Amino acid sequence: MDEYTLGVLTNMGLFSFLALSAYLLLVAGEMSFGQQAFFGVGAYAAGIGTAMWGLPLPLAVLFAMAAGAAAAWLVGLPTLRLRGLYFAMATLAAAEMFRILFELFHYQRTIDGALVGPDGTQGFRGIRWVLERGIEQESFLALVWALVGVVLVALAALERTRLGATLRMVGEDPELAAVLGVNVGRVKLAVAAAAGALAALGGALYAHHNTYVEPRNFDIMLGVHGLAYSLIGGLGTALGPLLGVAIDIGLLESTRIFQQYRMIVFGGLVAVLLIFRPRGLLDEVVVNRIAGALRHRRTT
Amino acid sequence: MMIRVLLAAALAALAAPALAQRLAADLDCKPTKQALVYDCRIALKESGSGKPVSGAEVSVGADMPSMPMAHNVRPAKAAPTKQPGEYAARIELEMHGEWAVKLRVGGPVRDQLILHYEFDEKGAKRAMRGAGHGPHGAKHQ
Repeated sequence: MDEYTLGVLTNMGLFSFLALSAYLLLVAGEMSFGQQAFFGVGAYAAGIGTAMWGLPLPLAVLFAMAAGAAAAWLVGLPTLRLRGLYFAMATLAAAEMFRILFELFHYQRTIDGALVGPDGTQGFRGIRWVLERGIEQESFLALVWALVGVVLVALAALERTRLGATLRMVGEDPELAAVLGVNVGRVKLAVAAAAGALAALGGALYAHHNTYVEPRNFDIMLGVHGLAYSLIGGLGTALGPLLGVAIDIGLLESTRIFQQYRMIVFGGLVAVLLIFRPRGLLDEVVVNRIAGALRHRRTT
Repeated sequence: MMIRVLLAAALAALAAPALAQRLAADLDCKPTKQALVYDCRIALKESGSGKPVSGAEVSVGADMPSMPMAHNVRPAKAAPTKQPGEYAARIELEMHGEWAVKLRVGGPVRDQLILHYEFDEKGAKRAMRGAGHGPHGAKHQ
C-alpha cells in the first residue's frame, strides 16, 4: 500500500472516532458542535502521558479517554440543561474555550536534550512514542481500524440492550422517557461522557500519528466535519458516521473529483441531505428495511 | 481477529527498540508554471550538530493546521541533489495559505518533521505561528 493510501485510510479511521462521538450525542437527541474539544483533550493528555511521563501508549490512551470523559462530563453539567440550538451554541462556545485554554497551556520539560510538551500557540512537539518504537504506518493503521471495530461492536451490542433502547427513547421523546421513569438528565450526561471518551481516543491516536499537535487543530471546522459525517451517514446505525467519513474523505477528497470546490460540494451535500433525509442516508427506516430483508433471506 | 491485531500491535510496540533520531530541516519552495504546484528543496540536518544528513529517504506531504486530516496532499518522494543533505521534491497543494508540511524521513535515519509554511503565488515562507520556527531552522518533532 502506498503512503498516500495509508494516510487517507488512517485519517478516515481517526475521523471515525470523532464522527461516532457526535453520533452518540445525536442518538441521544443532542447536536454538539464541540466534540473537537475532547479530541484535543485526548491528544494533549495522551501526548503528555507518553512524551513527558514515560507512559506506554495503551496506558496513555486510557488516561486520555478518562480525561476526555471528565471534560465532557464537566461541559455537559451546565450545557445539557439547554435544548436544541442553545445546546449546540453552548457546546461550540465550550469548545472554543478549550481551544483558547490549549493556547494558554505551557508545560514543558527537557527530554534527551530537547524541550518537549505543550507550548501554547507553538503547539506540542515531540510526541514520538510510535515513531521511536519503529511502528510502521501499516501497523498503526491496523491498530486504528481494530479500535474502530471494537467501538462499533460495543455500540452494536449496546443497541441490543435495554440501555440502548432507553438511549433511543431519550433521543426521540425525552418527555415520554421521563414519564416512564427514565432519568433523562443522567442518561444524557453519561452519553456526553462516553462521547467525550470516544473523541479523546481519536485525539490520542491522532497525536501519536502526527507527532505534533497545536490548538488550531481543534478548531470548529474539525467539530463541524465530525457532526456532518454523522448527519450524512445516518443515525440508524453506528455504521452511518463511517459512511459519512467514507463519502467525504474517501470519495470527495481522495479522488479529487471536485478539486478545490470540494468544500462547497460537501456543504451543499449536507444542506440537501438535511432537507430530504434529516436523519441521514442510513436512517432508522433504511436500517430496519435492510435488517428485515436479511432476516427474510435467512428464513427462506 | 481485532483482539489479535490489538495484542500484536501492543506487543510489537512494547518490544521494539527506539529507532528514531532527532533531525531538523529547512524548506525552500518555489512556484512552478502550474498553479499550486511547488518545487521544494529540503535541507536536512542533525538537530544538535547541524551536520547535513545524506542518504535518507524523504517524502513530503502536507496538512492544513485548522483542518487536520481533511486534506490529503499526496506525499511526494524527495530525490537527493548534489548538495550534501539536500533533497528536492515537487508538491501539489489544494489551495494557498498555511500548510503544515510533513517530512517523513526513513532509511539510515528515521524521523518525522512538521514545518509550518505559508504558500502563495510567490512561493513559500515560514509561517509566523506554529512549531519549529526558531532562529536555527525548523526543529525536530
